[in-house]
Amino acid sequence: MDNSQDYVIEMLNITKVFPGIKANDNITLQLRRGEIHALLGENGAGKSTLMSVLFGLYQPEEGVIKKNGEVVKINNPNDATALNIGMVHQHFKLIEVFTVLDNIILGAETTKLGFLQKKEARKKVEELSKRYKLNVDLDAKVEDITVGMQQRVEILKMLYRDNEILIFDEPTAVLTPQEIDELMEIMRGFAKEGKSILFITHKLNEIMAVADRVSVLRKGKYIGTVNVADTNKQELSNMMVGRPVQLQVQKAPAQPKEVILDVKDFTVPSKLHHNDAVKHISFQARAGEIVCIAGIDGNGQSELIYGLTGLEKSSGGTVTLCGQDISKASIRTRLGNLSHIPEDRHKHGLVLDFTLEQNMVLQRFREKDFQHFGFIDNGNVRQYAQRLIDQFDVRSGQGPVTIARSMSGGNQQKAIIARELDRDKPLIVAVQPTRGLDVGAIEYIHNQLVNERDEGKAVLLVSLELDEVMSLSDRILVMYEGEIVGELDPKQTTVQELGLYMAGAKRQGGTSHE
Amino acid sequence: MNKSPLMQRDGTKKLIASLLSILIGLFFGSILVLIVGLTTSNIGAKGAWDGIRLIFIGLFSKSRDASGNLVFGMNTTNIGNMLFRATPLIMTGLSVAVSQKTGLFNIGAPGQYLMGTMASLMISLSIPSSSVPPFVIWLLAFLGGCLAGAIWGAIPGILKAFLNINEVIACIMTNWISANLVTWFFDIAKFSTMTGSFYCQTKWKIADGSFKNMVENTKSGYVYKTSWNNVATPKLGLDKLFPDSQVNAGILIAIVIAIVIYIIINKTTFGFQLKACGSNRHAARYAGIKDRANIIYSMSIAGALSAAGASLYYLSGNTEFSWNTYQSLPAIGFNGIPVALLAVNNPIGVIFSGTFMAMLNIIGTQLTKFTAYNEYITDVIIAVIVYLSAFSLVIRSLIAGRKKNTSVANDANADKTPAKPEDTGKSGADAEQEAAPPTDAGTEKGGAQA
Repeated sequence: MDNSQDYVIEMLNITKVFPGIKANDNITLQLRRGEIHALLGENGAGKSTLMSVLFGLYQPEEGVIKKNGEVVKINNPNDATALNIGMVHQHFKLIEVFTVLDNIILGAETTKLGFLQKKEARKKVEELSKRYKLNVDLDAKVEDITVGMQQRVEILKMLYRDNEILIFDEPTAVLTPQEIDELMEIMRGFAKEGKSILFITHKLNEIMAVADRVSVLRKGKYIGTVNVADTNKQELSNMMVGRPVQLQVQKAPAQPKEVILDVKDFTVPSKLHHNDAVKHISFQARAGEIVCIAGIDGNGQSELIYGLTGLEKSSGGTVTLCGQDISKASIRTRLGNLSHIPEDRHKHGLVLDFTLEQNMVLQRFREKDFQHFGFIDNGNVRQYAQRLIDQFDVRSGQGPVTIARSMSGGNQQKAIIARELDRDKPLIVAVQPTRGLDVGAIEYIHNQLVNERDEGKAVLLVSLELDEVMSLSDRILVMYEGEIVGELDPKQTTVQELGLYMAGAKRQGGTSHE
Repeated sequence: MNKSPLMQRDGTKKLIASLLSILIGLFFGSILVLIVGLTTSNIGAKGAWDGIRLIFIGLFSKSRDASGNLVFGMNTTNIGNMLFRATPLIMTGLSVAVSQKTGLFNIGAPGQYLMGTMASLMISLSIPSSSVPPFVIWLLAFLGGCLAGAIWGAIPGILKAFLNINEVIACIMTNWISANLVTWFFDIAKFSTMTGSFYCQTKWKIADGSFKNMVENTKSGYVYKTSWNNVATPKLGLDKLFPDSQVNAGILIAIVIAIVIYIIINKTTFGFQLKACGSNRHAARYAGIKDRANIIYSMSIAGALSAAGASLYYLSGNTEFSWNTYQSLPAIGFNGIPVALLAVNNPIGVIFSGTFMAMLNIIGTQLTKFTAYNEYITDVIIAVIVYLSAFSLVIRSLIAGRKKNTSVANDANADKTPAKPEDTGKSGADAEQEAAPPTDAGTEKGGAQA
């Protein structure tokens, strides 16, 4: 702090206490002008709380915030906006039925005599999007554009308000690898223009790629700030988790045994267009192997899983699970032999307004352990939920009676994984099981999946993360436009080759039917 | 860990919020009475004072003494009548509450109520009590009414489940269809091909086998009452307890049904499925629960409950279904909505809120009986209470004295946050800002709490 003029924002000795927990304990964060400063920490480390303090959503018990060396008081987000602080939230705050332009100017409209002056606004937004290469159709409705585009709208919102300090709260959690690269480029552009960026994340690759400095939080405490140039991924993850973390999955070679899942000529219609989303695909998954479906988002992976698990009707082909044709079976019948870690944990995975224990028995409540003559045995449900919570280290405010909605994303995912793995079925369908999770949780989930494999389960993994595909799978099936265009061995292939298949630039003959 | 102090519990807060709504409603009604009284020449200050007292303790008003002062005291007739009128309100309240618990809004209670009325009356008046014991007729009529309501409720349920048609719209349409259907059955339909079974009662028009009442058609419409056929709900001694009142065993049946519904919703696997579908249809489907079937079950149960209310009301033997070409929907059906709202959709709570609504009704009649006020003043009070119970979430958060998150979603998390003085002042500023309720921070906090 010898030269405080260097810092555009300083948060000094911030302490924020919630009942029973110090969410932020004496945290100091100093943001230099024109730098990309990453804020790294596990789920629940206090990153979002700290940013909420900066954005005026919470008032700290102790500590001061300085802007350009002067103490400022931020009582609400309007104060933050007045100080040119802008934030892109993890879950976007957009009005879906409004156009992009309307969303951008909302709350900062230029008016004349009470009438909107959209022309001026449009000009300004167009200039901004040209300058920062943020191409987006201003007249499209937000509900019609992709998530990556929606994020651009959020970024344009900040720029439109002339914000100098840009906070990105886990911006890459919802993006595809390509969109992530584009975002990184945009962020570098901002830094070059002299804007300062706070980048909240728990993805080490992104920090190494784009950040100048990184501050690490752990369980509400400040661990340290390091220059990205002077550190590496292993050191950062150790700082974040507080113990050495295996970044590489440790596993023995697979020993595939009998066929568990046999998919033949399988076709699933699309809900979005008239073509089939999954076109005549065939593959097998054996006991004791992890088969990974790789591909860029939207190439039919979701529909394939919906078709396999019964959430959507298939229009052709057969699915044989443990020797039983299930292609027309009910979801409940299928659940008899498969565990399903769904892609969307809020839509499918959990009933958010139910308690944790109710969610733990979402499929099993009919079993004789949990009900007698139709009356739910709450004692057994509680006991069972408590066992899973202990065994899988699911953290929540009130244990089994916590409302699922109030839990952090990582713990919600852990709860789903606990529930699905404990059901102990021969086939485990895991769709992006580590999306949005921190290194510690990812390590845990990967180890669990490998354990299940070693116990003789077949694991069907759908993942968009190339690292995960390469390190976890025993066999890779690449999906492109609803077809399997290649079967690869992760030991004998490279990320580049995998990328070519995923982009449709390369395909193996014979594996796909046309 | 699971048992928080009484005042911190969610249920306590809901109860206090509802009671507060009621108190404010009654208080508002009193002000109205005062203003009307002081500005009306034939009421004056004394009349206004009488009116205010009636609003609060009208249930216990008895008469006026020689000098014209109101006499208060135990009034068993009023209490008995209140319980009688509470019966159908509890049932329609339950109907709305059940559908709400399962994520549906049953605004079709009036139509279901009408269908229940029709089925019960037709059955109870068609089977001659000379050959079948009245008790059996009563039971058949009650069950028939429930069945009619269940079918009527299932229609919006089926439309919702298979075609994803909003149940509110479908319910409103089935309401009016039922109104016209009842008109057709009681006024136009001819059952000449079904002669015989309908001919038992001399009170029915026999010649062409229709359900027209040819005896009591001298008023504006036709009147039907089950006592013609000696069918009436047993009193079970309640008439001794509350002499000179209309009360009968119907209220006991309603209470038993409310308790049964409470148990089904909260204790059984069936209730678990219904609630799961109601809270998140997709997750329920994912878990192998038949989401479509459960939506239909839920609406059928709601329909049966509304219709059961109608059956209990008209099978009592001392009510008449007075009817001409039906052009309005029964208010009791719609009143189920405030009853459920005030009870925060708790089936046990519905017993009390239904009774309370019936009490307001009694107070209305007492107001007209003893003062120059119009009974509709109680409707204003009900309206205020309904408005306030719709705001009960706000009231609940005021009770907790905590910062109000803009996202209701975070309630569960924030509920365990005790009052913090510095937080209360900020709620306004928080609600104003256009973006960024602290959802993310809230979830993060939840994780850190462990």
